[in-house]
Amino acid sequence: MSVVEGAIIYSNLLVLLSMSLTITYITTSVPNFAQGSFAVFGSYIAFALFKLFEIHPYKSVPLVFILGGFLGVVTYFLVLRPLIKKEASVLILMIATLAWDLILLGFLGIFSETLGKMIGGYASRFIFTPYDFRVFGMNGIFFVSSAAILLCLFGLAVLFYKTKFGIALRASMENPQLAEVMGVNVEYTRIFSWFLSGSFSALAGALLPFKQEIVQSTGALIIVSIFAASIVGGLSSILGAILGGYLIGISETLVTFYLSKLFGTGVLVYSKLIPLVILIVVLLYIPQGLVSIRWSKWRLSRH
Amino acid sequence: MAFEQTLITILLWFGVYAIVAISLNIEYGYGGIPNFGRAFAILIGALAVGAIVNRIFIALTGVSGVTYSAASGFAKSKIDALISSNPAYGILILLFCVALAAILGAIFGAIFILPSAKLKSDYLAITLLAISEVSFIVSYYNTEIVGGYYGTPTPNVLAFIPGESREIAYTILMLIFAALIFLLAERLMNSPYGRLLRAMREDEDVVESFGKDVMKIRIKTVALGSSLAAIVGALYTLYAGNVSGVVNLFARVNWTFYPFLMVLLGGMANNRGVLAGTFLFVAVWRLLDQYKHEIAAVLNLPFDVNWLQYIIFGALMILVLYYRPEGLIKEQPIRTEPIKEIKSGKKV
Repeated sequence: MSVVEGAIIYSNLLVLLSMSLTITYITTSVPNFAQGSFAVFGSYIAFALFKLFEIHPYKSVPLVFILGGFLGVVTYFLVLRPLIKKEASVLILMIATLAWDLILLGFLGIFSETLGKMIGGYASRFIFTPYDFRVFGMNGIFFVSSAAILLCLFGLAVLFYKTKFGIALRASMENPQLAEVMGVNVEYTRIFSWFLSGSFSALAGALLPFKQEIVQSTGALIIVSIFAASIVGGLSSILGAILGGYLIGISETLVTFYLSKLFGTGVLVYSKLIPLVILIVVLLYIPQGLVSIRWSKWRLSRH
Repeated sequence: MAFEQTLITILLWFGVYAIVAISLNIEYGYGGIPNFGRAFAILIGALAVGAIVNRIFIALTGVSGVTYSAASGFAKSKIDALISSNPAYGILILLFCVALAAILGAIFGAIFILPSAKLKSDYLAITLLAISEVSFIVSYYNTEIVGGYYGTPTPNVLAFIPGESREIAYTILMLIFAALIFLLAERLMNSPYGRLLRAMREDEDVVESFGKDVMKIRIKTVALGSSLAAIVGALYTLYAGNVSGVVNLFARVNWTFYPFLMVLLGGMANNRGVLAGTFLFVAVWRLLDQYKHEIAAVLNLPFDVNWLQYIIFGALMILVLYYRPEGLIKEQPIRTEPIKEIKSGKKV
């Protein structure tokens, strides 16, 4: 796998995850710390389907997508909605998602160890790369992850701009009170956003093992990159999540790679510093993210 | 014997977590600062011992090893021999480690909270969590700072005490530190400073309008909290004899999430409540760990009970947030002199 190819694959998956984080942030205004575990949930489901029923991970994607969506909806109903009804603060909601992340980690551990016993092997860490196909000298995951992004974006575009529900969704994202007055059921749009968030994450999770090894705690490792991607773009904009995802994903991979050429492979352990540094710089200077920059104004002021 | 052992473990961890929970209570409970990166200060304490004190000893003893961990191991055996011949060295090294951790904790804590100048609530919490996570990832995967995933042995400051009673001695030591820090926190939080913190938590603008610099208060508070947490990081590392007790991939759970659970379970802005919450948590946690094989055998579980523990504590947190957001013991008014007089029944 060439470096650029790897960077694009990683960024594609990161974009799916940062979009997931952003969608629920827009509707529920809670940054979901369990987003990484949503993805790892998808990975383990794909792995279980592969080991138990011999369904190739690429073929099980639709099922994983739907199951991930259910996880998102369950998260909303079980953890967040009761607290929101009690008017809990954002911080309390965030602590609740941290707790939910821990619960998911527990379930993932139980699931993987039980699965290991069932298949008579080791299921705690796995990787799908040997099962990938190759076209034009490139790994299949490059095309699959790119296709996944395009399909998701196309789906979102059709949903948002061509359907009545999509318009209601956009309205309730922009101004929930006004949307409610106009007869939109804001609660439905919230539930739907959690479904999308869960399913996009699980999709990313199902594809991630084609790129890197998965362990139960992989979610905790990728969460920093997900947050960095969403915030860099602007936490309340889906376009921002796409921009941020590519910016963080590509710089995390490429910058680390070139630095390791200069200073040796010892640099690799510092790769997560890159999203962190970008995150902090963006937060301090453009807290509303890339989408908040008025490029046209900037161009005018230069003349 | 097994029961005594369990009791000692519970008391030891109670001491450890009491300090962490009090430090978080000062920052989050009283000050309302969402420090989702509590683990960071613990790491600083572990690094003070594992990365700095160890390097001093390696230089002093003149040992060398293939890796940093190996060299630390050789230095440790020499220093341990020295400590067992003369207890004074052990006490001195202990005090030095604690002082170093406290100072570094305060400095790094003050730097750590600087993003709060521009960030509020959720953004701040995310940033602090991210800084803490990345610090742990780097310390864990880089084997040169403190040995990374290999861990690094640290000197046994109580090497002069015979093996069987050393555990008890460490427990007593931990409880003494916890008691001192509890008294300090009680005094501080019942002073005008404590009142200022509560005011800042409720409304920063009001505090500003009274001419107080909120940023300064935040820096002071997190420096204080981080300093206390760093002391635990150092003490626990010295007790465990290896930095791997702190520098591992479960740091966020052990050193950020669990302390939050203790504070919220016990009752925010209430040190006594937090102690109660800590004790309850530690007792359940250690008992689950103690009997995990029995539990797995009786329930015929095909997996490690540790996973179940995550589910239990995660669920407990959500239940506390939902059913008892004020905790076991509610926040109480500050005991100022007039209030004390009224309560004791004296005439004012």
